[in-house]
Amino acid sequence: MSQMKEEKKMTVHNLYIFDRNGSCLYYNEWNRKKQAGISKDEEFKLMYGMLFSIRSFVSKMSPLDMKEGFLSFQTSKYRLHYYETPSGLRFVMNTDLSVPNARDTLQHIYSNLYVEYIVKNPVCVLGQSLDSELFSSRLDSYIRALPYYSPRAA
Amino acid sequence: MSKVYPGRNIEFNPESRVVFTSCSLKLTGMADESLFDFLHMEIVSHIYKEQQSSKGEMDNKDRAVCVSVLESMGFRVGQGLIERLTRDSASFKDELDVMKFVCKDFWTKVFRRQVDNLRTNHQGTYVLQDNKFSLLTQLSSGKQYLDQAPKYLAFSCGVVRGALSNLGLDSVVTAEVSVMPSCKFQVVIQKL
Repeated sequence: MSQMKEEKKMTVHNLYIFDRNGSCLYYNEWNRKKQAGISKDEEFKLMYGMLFSIRSFVSKMSPLDMKEGFLSFQTSKYRLHYYETPSGLRFVMNTDLSVPNARDTLQHIYSNLYVEYIVKNPVCVLGQSLDSELFSSRLDSYIRALPYYSPRAA
Repeated sequence: MSKVYPGRNIEFNPESRVVFTSCSLKLTGMADESLFDFLHMEIVSHIYKEQQSSKGEMDNKDRAVCVSVLESMGFRVGQGLIERLTRDSASFKDELDVMKFVCKDFWTKVFRRQVDNLRTNHQGTYVLQDNKFSLLTQLSSGKQYLDQAPKYLAFSCGVVRGALSNLGLDSVVTAEVSVMPSCKFQVVIQKL
């Protein structure tokens, strides 16, 4: 019984993709129960700015030498996962607490979806928001097929 | 003391770390494909930008110039490719044999798959249908960007025309797309 309850809660809430200049290239949500109360533009700026600060804080205050740096943070209700590519692209995904590590997922989204359908798409200009329907639909199917995704989250 | 493992070419020297590794053939193959894809994207973009920089807007005449530049580039590439690809084969019986070679071996080497459907009226007109044309698969799988598709087909039309030309067949090659990434190439053999 309790296992069924836990399965209900597993889900992906939303995903942001930022480029190295801070522009939000892509945003989509799957299971977001509460909005931020500010416009989408402000929300993206807030998210990017916060991540920028957290990353520099984390590396400054680290008691040891660190390679990867900031990976995720968690609250009582959700966990935010962060993945930055060598080319400066930032993938940010909010999931529920049952997902300990989404790094592989984000890496897959980068190498198998972003590189395949955006970088290799001659029409998509790097740096502008991602309009390709092919990319959106493949990303959507991928997220929905994740083992920790369930559409009816508590 | 270093060991060499046959077939993998990885040398381990216990004193230092891994000294040399070589990529597997599969990896090199994939890198080659992307290389052409990116180069082709940039060629198309460059030609269109060049044509546009002289004026502000692009009219149909400018677009036709760009398409014909791309097509003639493809022509020369196709001529060279077909020499290389047929150097070991026997000569062809007839026109249909040539077209079948283009649809199977040639298409596989150049576009990584075979043509799905070949139709002809037996009077010099052939329609080659490729349902997942490799230069269109990353663009879209439907109607999005349909108006941009011709830009990315011009070079390939030239490649086909060049290949046929060096096999002794003069032709006119055009391409049309109605649903991406499926594409139809129409080849009309010119009789003397």
